Amino acid sequence: MSDHDHPRAIGGKPFDPLMKTLLAIFGVSAVVMVYRFFTGVGPVSNMTDGFTWGIWEPVNVVVFTGIGAGAYGVALLCYLLNKGKYHVLVRPAVLLGAICYTLGASSIVIALGRYWNSYWLAVPTMWNLSSALLEVAVCVLSYVAVLWIEVLPSVLDGAAQSKSSAWSQLGRTWGPLLAKAMPYIIALAILLPTMHQSSLGGLLLIAGPKVHPLWHTALLPTLFLISCLSMGYGAVVVLTTILNLTWKAKHDQRLFAEMSKVNAGLLLLYVVLRLGDIAIHGKLAYLGFNGYTLLFVVEIALFLVPAFMFFSPRVQQNKGRLFGAALLTVAAGASYRVDTYLSVYRPAPGWDYFPSFGEIIVTIGMAAIGMAIFIFISRMFPVVVVETRDHSHAGSGRVLTAGSR
Amino acid sequence: MAELETEGVSRRGFLKVCSLAAGAVGLPAWAGEKMAEKAAGSAKPPVIWLHFQECTGCSESLLRTSAPDVAELILGLVSLDYHETLMVPSGYQAEKSLEESMEKNAGNYVLVVEGAIPTKDNGIYCRVGGHTAVETAKKVAAKAAAVISIGSCASWGGIPSADPNPTGAVGVDKVVTGKPVVNIPGCPANPYNLLGTVLQFATFGTLPALDGLGRPKFAYARTIHEDCPRRPHFDAGRFAQKYGDEGHREGYCLYKLGCKGPATHANCSLNHFVEMPGAWPVGIGHPCVGCTEQKIGFRVPLHDTVDVERPTAPGTYPPIHPDHSVITPAVVGASAAIVGALVGAGYVATKKITADSEKHAGKE
Amino acid sequence: MSISRRSLLKGAVVAGAATALVGRAEAREEVEPRPDAVGMLYDSTRCIGCRACVTRCKEANSLPYDRTAEGIHDAPTDLNSNTKNIIKVWTAGEKSAFTKQQCMHCVDPSCVSVCMMGALHKEGEGKRDFAGEKKGTGVVLYDKGTCVGCRYCQIACAFNVPKFEWFEAFPLIVKCELCRHRGDPKKEGPLAIANPACCEACPREAVVYGKREALLAEAKRRLAEDPKRYNGLIYGEKEGGGTQVLYLAGAGVTFKQLGMPELPEESSASFSERVSHAPYLHGITPIALYGAMAFVIRRNKSKEEASEHHGEGK
Repeated sequence: MSDHDHPRAIGGKPFDPLMKTLLAIFGVSAVVMVYRFFTGVGPVSNMTDGFTWGIWEPVNVVVFTGIGAGAYGVALLCYLLNKGKYHVLVRPAVLLGAICYTLGASSIVIALGRYWNSYWLAVPTMWNLSSALLEVAVCVLSYVAVLWIEVLPSVLDGAAQSKSSAWSQLGRTWGPLLAKAMPYIIALAILLPTMHQSSLGGLLLIAGPKVHPLWHTALLPTLFLISCLSMGYGAVVVLTTILNLTWKAKHDQRLFAEMSKVNAGLLLLYVVLRLGDIAIHGKLAYLGFNGYTLLFVVEIALFLVPAFMFFSPRVQQNKGRLFGAALLTVAAGASYRVDTYLSVYRPAPGWDYFPSFGEIIVTIGMAAIGMAIFIFISRMFPVVVVETRDHSHAGSGRVLTAGSR
Repeated sequence: MAELETEGVSRRGFLKVCSLAAGAVGLPAWAGEKMAEKAAGSAKPPVIWLHFQECTGCSESLLRTSAPDVAELILGLVSLDYHETLMVPSGYQAEKSLEESMEKNAGNYVLVVEGAIPTKDNGIYCRVGGHTAVETAKKVAAKAAAVISIGSCASWGGIPSADPNPTGAVGVDKVVTGKPVVNIPGCPANPYNLLGTVLQFATFGTLPALDGLGRPKFAYARTIHEDCPRRPHFDAGRFAQKYGDEGHREGYCLYKLGCKGPATHANCSLNHFVEMPGAWPVGIGHPCVGCTEQKIGFRVPLHDTVDVERPTAPGTYPPIHPDHSVITPAVVGASAAIVGALVGAGYVATKKITADSEKHAGKE
Repeated sequence: MSISRRSLLKGAVVAGAATALVGRAEAREEVEPRPDAVGMLYDSTRCIGCRACVTRCKEANSLPYDRTAEGIHDAPTDLNSNTKNIIKVWTAGEKSAFTKQQCMHCVDPSCVSVCMMGALHKEGEGKRDFAGEKKGTGVVLYDKGTCVGCRYCQIACAFNVPKFEWFEAFPLIVKCELCRHRGDPKKEGPLAIANPACCEACPREAVVYGKREALLAEAKRRLAEDPKRYNGLIYGEKEGGGTQVLYLAGAGVTFKQLGMPELPEESSASFSERVSHAPYLHGITPIALYGAMAFVIRRNKSKEEASEHHGEGK
């Protein structure tokens, strides 16, 4: 690796209009969240005893962590399969993962009814090991810690280059030490998501009578694991493309094309497993002219279309098309997850659900603060690898609005 | 007994009365016999009855009770030493018999008070024999064994204390201290509730268990609603909507006309007045006015409805899968807009980056 | 690099195969009804819909009323945080049948399987030491001290029994605990654990309390004695691994019509644990995987550093 591939802090004004907007959105959602702590979950949400997780669990946790799985996917490629060229992506992906997982974990606290009892999670003798949610909770919490430790090198690098001598000393002492410990932390950073992402699918195994047969299968853990990887790779491409447009982040088309071929394999594997499972278990009879079939077809299409796009040279060579295909993979994973947890979940006749404004605002607010934290950290610390041949500072006006979903 | 029989009271009839009264207080039949024995003996409980701000309705309803009739009651069951409406003497003679009885039975007699006691302007709004109600009540109560407030006025002021309470009328227990006071509210109070209390005291020397408002639990523990003969109509949702409508004529529930039964504690629905079946407000088609409740009677407008104190299930059943729908169009629309915006933004961004990228490639 | 990758893949294949093999051998055993299990038997044909059980349940458990919009009736439409027991009616034309809903006290409950810290637990088998709880009656109890309010029990329960206090800042999960607080020490053996108010209130013994074995025998006796009266089945004998509350329904009425889910004989808990636990091999897989990955990553990293000549690892 050459010197110009090193990430650096973006700098710039911390409170630009985008940041202000994001913080304002979060502010509104924060009001809802605080209100919830005084009145209970009921008044701010449409959650009922039938749809008890609303959208906070399926979206804030299951989808957000799916997006955050980019850190997992890149770590898998970069460290385990030793593809050093993916190093460029590690820091943004890890930061994205750390933020997404933190948001997921904090959303859980908002949704938990008796959050003050969570301290028991720290006491292993209290664990009910047969609970899939326990595994998810413990793994996600540990993984959040691991991810932030993985973010630390950026911070320590930043510190080492700092003008303040104490700060710089801190960075120089701890940086190498951390580097030595990194392999063990990275191994954890691969093990934990493997466990909990499959368990996220495993959560619904027990809800057999309530989840539509086209979605309920013993393969749920496997399918969730695959879909988190596909979402993660997609999210990394999307993120880097946006960073490239806004801050001239290094954008290696060939690297993305290669990674996307891996992703295409995952997407196809998902479709094969899914269809095969349905066929083997004689569930094809559930397909017909109904809403479930429509959802199913849309879902499969969302997985298939980007898979084929990734193989096409036209897509591989064009930043925009690759971006679009990557967006589709994120949408595919997200729709699979939301469908399984929500759209095809039917507790009993008579129950229905649609999120309330309160719930939607909290979800959007969480996404907003996530973006704000990402921007803030990238500005302060060396996370993003910037193209060195063009030193002119990236204007954040026009392109930014296009990229800022 | 011989004495009583000369008054035209048969032994059987007398026993029946005592059993009824014992039953009303929640005592077994043997207690009735014991009451009869005691009352037939020489030691009839001496009773002094004072009237203050009232309409004499409570006395009137007592007089209209047929078992025991008035003669039985005042001559056979108790020794009524002073009662302004019923006694023969008047003026100084009457006051003298009050003094005498108080002297003779000091510490043994039962004081029954009918009517509220005005306290405003030193109690000048009610004077009997030159003494204010406050003075008389205090004086007579001081030597009484027990005090019974009959009617809502004596219990807590009743009608005289209704807004704006010009005379500062209060119940007896606000004036008399240091004595057990039993409240038997009602407008008028049901005579059996008084009789039962008096006889229990005379026979056993005890007072019945009281609730938080000083009312005997044997009569005031449950709500009218709980034992109401019209209750099935309530459970089935059949209500009279206005006086004289079909539902009213059919005997439907009077709740919507303002019946206070669901929040009023009294035994009216079980023990009708003067032994006449159906002789009580709900029985004649009028909603209960809540006269036995301090906070309802003469306080809450007649035709206002009240909260149901102990609600139970209605006459309809939920289906196996009840409706729990929460979806509202507004939020669905808003969400569609958000999802649409996300998809649109993704599409536009893709288009734009694709075009830019192609242009870039063209330049190189 | 390619070697490490190939060896890794090989390792993964071996691990996967081992998992599949051992996983099958290690599959979780089906939970059998405990010999001392207690429960209830509800006979829909005897129920007259008086709802004395609903009222008494509320009294016995000090539950708030569930007032109608007018406020004059206590009329819950379903089990909810104010209602642990409810009578519902099924009607189709002239035909109708009552049914009663409350916790089924499953033999192998989903809620207990999913509860993170054993807040919902079978009597005496929770994660904390519960004074006075004996083992073996199989009654599903709630320990608010370890409940985090995640509501996974609501997702998992096929009968939609656990309910949540949505409008409380400090909410609880509410469900029938078989009136454990009314336990009657004078009753013999395991029956002393509880004394359900609904059974006490029922004027027709449409719902009775007893040992599961005895209730099952009684249900069979009723079916044999008057086969024309019943639909011939006992719900809860096998459904979902069996429940400790058993149901009888009248002739021509299916349990599905009475709102009971159609469940396989394998309990959901057993299925879920079998599928998701198998790959873990009691924790061996994650540890082995971790060790292997740490080794590979460290080797890759030192190789990379060696090739770069100056240590610039991140």
